[in-house]
Amino acid sequence: MRIARTTKLLVEPPSSATGDIAFNLIVFFLVCASVQPDRGRLQNLPASETAEDQQQQTENIEVQLTRTAVLVNGEAVPMPRFATRIKSLLAAKTSPAEKVVIVKSRPDTPYHHWIDVTSTIDDAGGTITLQLEEEREIVVP
Amino acid sequence: MKISRRSARAEVPSMAMGDIAFNLLIFFVILARAQDDSHLQWTPAEAKNLQNASNSVVSVLIDADSKLYLNGQQIGVAQLAGRIEGLLEGAPPGERPVLVKVHNEALAQRFEPVIEAISEAGGELVHIVEEVRD
Repeated sequence: MRIARTTKLLVEPPSSATGDIAFNLIVFFLVCASVQPDRGRLQNLPASETAEDQQQQTENIEVQLTRTAVLVNGEAVPMPRFATRIKSLLAAKTSPAEKVVIVKSRPDTPYHHWIDVTSTIDDAGGTITLQLEEEREIVVP
Repeated sequence: MKISRRSARAEVPSMAMGDIAFNLLIFFVILARAQDDSHLQWTPAEAKNLQNASNSVVSVLIDADSKLYLNGQQIGVAQLAGRIEGLLEGAPPGERPVLVKVHNEALAQRFEPVIEAISEAGGELVHIVEEVRD
């Protein structure tokens, strides 16, 4: 006569461990999500200056931005040629003060155009200074 | 005859430890999300030569609707410089990064005063952008 084997092996994980498994899974995914750092561009802007200080900046390069175009010292430059133009202009400048590039944007200039131009200036060795239109409060009697 | 009192053992069931930890974790994750700006809608612009941004306690975001947020909370430009100064208080130069996240179609009239305010507060601007795709 053949006797059936009665040994039963535990094949399922104990259900009491489900909480611990869930906890470890969450920690794993949280760590995975937090290790991806943001990537970006560091930009150094000099401290704000008043209108009187701008008298000394007549020798600096001036870049004007419109919605789609870019003007260097008042002359329109196509975007593909902007990097070469700004590099050649900055190459002629020797002191750090001369390498300051004044960036003036029209109010409707989109950010993607602005960051494209300012990062090109940064890469060419220029120091960006923003020229903003000052708001003046006029009190009407 | 004196009958001895039976002492009852009151222990927290160790089986529930995993569940307690799980609920605590969920609680802190939700708490952290309140200061996070990952739920805001914006599209990053593209640029070249990017570097990994260091950890920062300050994140300024202009979303697709041109609304301004500081660490996930909506704020006005007028209060921005003061709030950033407070957050960066005591941080030495070189360790004052401010993450700037601007929607790629935001206009200069909106983002330039923000950049000026960050600069005024002594923050070091880190523009969060994407690498240019070929």
